[in-house]
Amino acid sequence: MLDTPTTRKPYVTGMDSRRSAGMLALGAHTILTMVFLYAPIVVLVAFSFTRDSFGVRWTGFTLDWYRRLLADQRLLGAALNTLYVALTSTIVSTIIGTMTALAMERYHFRGRTGFDALLYLPIVIPEIVMALALLAFFAFSFGILELLSGLRLQMGLGTVTIAHIAFTISFVVVVVRASLKGFDMRLEEAAQDLGANEWQTFRHITLPLILPGIIGGALLAFTLSLDDFIITFFTTGPGTSLLPVEVYGQVKRAITPKINAISTLMLLVSITLVFLSQFIQRRR
Amino acid sequence: MQRFRFLPLIMVVALVLAACGGAPAASPGNEYGSGGATPEPTAAPAATQPAQSDGLEVDRTKLSTELRFFNWTDYVDPSILEDFEKEYGVKVIVDLFDANEDMIAKVRAGRSGYDIVTPSDYAVETMWREGLLAKLDKAMLPNLKHIDPGLLDKYFDPGNVYSVPYLYGITGIAYNKQNFPDGVDSWAALFDTAQIEKYSGQFSMLDDERESPGAALKYLGYSLNETDPAALKKAQDLLIAQKPFLAAYNSSDVNRKLASGEYVIAHAWSGSAMQARSGLGDEFSGNPDIAFVIPKEGGMIWMDNMVILADSPNAYTAHVFMNFMLRPDIAARNAEYVGYLTPNKDGEQLLPQDVIALYKEGFAPNEEVLKRLEWAVRNEQTVAFTDVWTAVKGE
Amino acid sequence: MALETLTSEPRESRVAALLRRSERFRLGLLLFPGLFWLLLFFALPLVVVVLYSFATPGPTGRVEWHFTLANYGTLFTESLYVNAYLRSIWAGVLTTLICLLAGYPLALYIVRRPPRWRTVLLFLILIPFWTNFLVRTYAWMIILSNNGIINSIIQALGLPRVALYPSEGAVLIGLIYGNLPFMVLPIFASLDRFDFTLLEAAADLGADQTRAFLRVMLPLTMPGIAAGSVLVFIPTVGQFVVSDLLGGAKVDYLGNLLQRLFTRSNPPNWPLGSAMAIVFMAVLTVAILLYFRITTEQDR
Repeated sequence: MLDTPTTRKPYVTGMDSRRSAGMLALGAHTILTMVFLYAPIVVLVAFSFTRDSFGVRWTGFTLDWYRRLLADQRLLGAALNTLYVALTSTIVSTIIGTMTALAMERYHFRGRTGFDALLYLPIVIPEIVMALALLAFFAFSFGILELLSGLRLQMGLGTVTIAHIAFTISFVVVVVRASLKGFDMRLEEAAQDLGANEWQTFRHITLPLILPGIIGGALLAFTLSLDDFIITFFTTGPGTSLLPVEVYGQVKRAITPKINAISTLMLLVSITLVFLSQFIQRRR
Repeated sequence: MQRFRFLPLIMVVALVLAACGGAPAASPGNEYGSGGATPEPTAAPAATQPAQSDGLEVDRTKLSTELRFFNWTDYVDPSILEDFEKEYGVKVIVDLFDANEDMIAKVRAGRSGYDIVTPSDYAVETMWREGLLAKLDKAMLPNLKHIDPGLLDKYFDPGNVYSVPYLYGITGIAYNKQNFPDGVDSWAALFDTAQIEKYSGQFSMLDDERESPGAALKYLGYSLNETDPAALKKAQDLLIAQKPFLAAYNSSDVNRKLASGEYVIAHAWSGSAMQARSGLGDEFSGNPDIAFVIPKEGGMIWMDNMVILADSPNAYTAHVFMNFMLRPDIAARNAEYVGYLTPNKDGEQLLPQDVIALYKEGFAPNEEVLKRLEWAVRNEQTVAFTDVWTAVKGE
Repeated sequence: MALETLTSEPRESRVAALLRRSERFRLGLLLFPGLFWLLLFFALPLVVVVLYSFATPGPTGRVEWHFTLANYGTLFTESLYVNAYLRSIWAGVLTTLICLLAGYPLALYIVRRPPRWRTVLLFLILIPFWTNFLVRTYAWMIILSNNGIINSIIQALGLPRVALYPSEGAVLIGLIYGNLPFMVLPIFASLDRFDFTLLEAAADLGADQTRAFLRVMLPLTMPGIAAGSVLVFIPTVGQFVVSDLLGGAKVDYLGNLLQRLFTRSNPPNWPLGSAMAIVFMAVLTVAILLYFRITTEQDR
C-alpha cells in the first residue's frame, strides 16, 4: 500500500527559535479561540444540572432534568430523528459533493459556468425561500404522482433528508474544491506511469490528498443539518418532529434545562461517534 | 484507507434510501406515531358497540386509529390526549407551529396530512375563504352549548360554520408590584418618555406588527384597527421615540424575564403574564409580585380556534375529538395547564380556586374590561401595518 | 498503457479518441449525481419562486397569478429597506474580517500539528456546534446578561456593571461565534495542500517572514480564504435569529425583512419576498463567481 503523502506534512525539522516562537504564539491563539468556542458550551452543560427551573442561574446540583428528559419520549424521538437525518444527508451529500468538486476542478465543459452558479445558489438562497419552494414542489409532485400511480406519499423524514442533501451538497463542494486547487497533477500522472489504474490512482493518491477537505466538508454538512430549523419545519410531515422544531417552539414558553440536557446528550453521542471512528481508523 | 472500500456500497445504499425517501422511511425511535405514511383506514378498536359519552353517540367502527393535530407549542395538556386515547382508542399525534402564517403555508400547499389545526381568529377567516376548512357537523358537537355565547359567532366565522373556540387571551400590561406599588392603569407607563426613562432597558414590547402599533394607537386614543395615514404616522413616531428606552421587542420569553425580575414592566399577553405570576407547572416557578392590567385606553382580545381541514380523511374522528375538548372538565384542565383563558363558561367554574382568584385580579376580563377590548381585524387597509412596523424596525 | 500511447504513433488517434470518450464518460459519471440532485430538488422548486416574483399577492396572502413587474419596482424604490440592506452588509463584512483574522492562525496551527492531532483539533472546533443553536445562543445571553457571568466577574472586581446585552456588540459576538468554523475548515483544507518547504526556499532567497507570508503563503492559500469568506459572509447577511435574540429584535436585518414578508406579516407578501430574494441571490451569485475568479483562478 502506498504511504499517504500526508504523513510528510508537519515540517518541523529545521526548527529555529523564531519558528518555535511563532508556533507558541499560534498555540496561544488557538487556546484563546478554544476558550471562546467552549465558554457557552461549558455554561450549557453546567446548566443542565442546575436546580433553577429558569435555567439561567446556578442554584444547586440536580439530575432531575435528565430524569425528566428520559421520560419525554417526544423529545428523545425528535433527537433520534435529527441524528438520523443529519447522518444520512451528510453521507450522501459528501459523496455527491466530492464527485461534483472533482468534475468542476478537473474538467472544462460546456455549461460549466452555469453549473458553477447553480452550485453557489443553495448557499446564497435565504432559507425561508428554499423552504417554501421545496414545500410547493413536494406537495405538487406528490399530487401528480398520486394522479398517475395512485401512490399516496406524505412528507416526512424522507423529504427532510432530500432537502438537507440539496442544501448541503454545495457546502461540501466549496470546501473540497478549496483542497483540490493547487493539487499537483503530476502525482497522479506519476502513479499512472507506474501502472496504477484509474481507481487505484484515485484511492491511493487523490483521495488521501483531498481527504482533509472531504472531512471538512462532511463536518460542515453534518453541523448545518443538525441545526436547520426553517427548511426542516416546512418539509417535515405529521408525526415526524425534529429537535430544532421542538426547541423553537419552546422559546415561546420557556426553554427549560431539559433542552440543555438533551443538547449535552447529543454532544456526548457525537463525541463518542468521533472517537469510535478515530479508534477504528487507527486500528486499521 | 481500507474503510473506503465500503464507500460505493454506502453510497448506493444511501442513494436508494434517499430515493425511496419520498415515502418516509420508518424513523428510528419515533415513538409517537408512524413515520407519517398514509392514514390508516377506519380500523375499529376493541369494541364495536356504540359508546355513550360526551352526550354524543359515537360509532366506534367509524373512528380512525390516529388523529393528526397541528397545534401551537405547549398548547395542550398531554395527559388529556392520553385520556382521549384511553377512551376511544385513537392516538393523537401532535405537531407544532409557532406562527399562523407558517401553519397556513403548510396547509395551503396541500396534503399536509393534518386533521385538526388551531388558527387564531383572523387566520380562520383566511382559511375558510381559501376553502381549506371543512364545514362542521353541529349535531356531532353537543358540547358546544358550554361555550360562552359572547365568544361565538365572531367576525371571522359568522355562525361558527367552520370553527369552535379553543382558548383565548387578552393583551395588556404586565408589571412587577415591587416597582409599581401604586399600580398601572395607562399605556403611558410604556409610552410616556418621562416615565419610561426611569426603567430604561428593563421593559419590552411585543414583537408583532399588530400588537405594538395597536398599543400605540390605543394610547393615542384611536381604534387599534385605525388605518388613517396620519394616525399611523403618529403611532409610528411614538414607537420610534420609545425604542431607545426599550430592552427588546419580545414575544417569546416575556414570562421568564418578568418572573426573574429582568423586566419590571412589559407589553404582554395575559397567558404569559399568568405564567410569570404562577409559574409553569414544575418547569418554571412564578413570581407573586406580577400583576396584569388592561389599561384604561383599552387593549386587544384574540382567540385560537379548532378547525377541521377540508382534506382531512378523518373528519368523523376529528368531530369526536373536538367534542371531547369542549367537555367542561377537559377544557378546565387544559386551560389550567396552558395558562390561557377558556371560552368554556361551564369549564371555568371547575377551575381551582387560586386560578379563579387570579382571574378576578385582572388576568381575565370582566364585563367592564370586555367593553374596552378590541379584535384586530385584517383587511385590504391593514396591510399598512406591515409598513409601519418595517419603518419602526428600520430606524 | 499510458506509455504505449506515446510510442506507437499509428494508433495514436484511435487511442486518443477512445481516451477522450472515456474522459467524457468519466466526467458524466462524476457530474451526474450532483447535477441530477440539484436540478430536481433545487432548481425545479426554485422556478416556483421566480414565478411568484412576477405574481400578485392576494388579500389573504395566497399568490394570485396576474403578471406584474411591480414587485421589482417596489424593491428598488422603497427606501424603507435600505437601512436593513446596509446594516446586513456591514455586519457581514465585519464578521467575515474578524473570522478571517481569528480563523487563519487557527487553521495554520492545526495544519502544523501531527496528523492524529489535526483531526482531533478539527473536531474540537466543530463539536460546540453539535448542540442546539438556540441553546447555544441562550448560553451567550447567560454569559452577557446584566446578572450574567461577565458582569459577576466585573462586579467582583469592584467595577460598575456593563450593559452587554441586548446590544449590537452582542449580535457581533454571536455572529462571529456561529461562523468561525465556516472560515476555519476551508482555510485548513487549503493550507493542507500548501508545501511549507516553499517558505524555507523563500527564506533562503532572503525574504523575511512577513514577505514570505505575503508573497508565497497567502496567494497559494487564497482558494481557502475565498471559500471561507463566502461561507461566512453569505449566511451572516441573511441571518435573523442571532440579531433577534442577542440584539433584542429592535432593528431589521435583511433576513428579518424576508422572514416578515414571507411568514410574519399578514397577509404575507410572497411575491415581493420572492423578488427580494431573487435580486439578493442574483447579486450575490455574480459577486461570488467574480470573487472566485479574481482570487483563485489567476493561474489559468
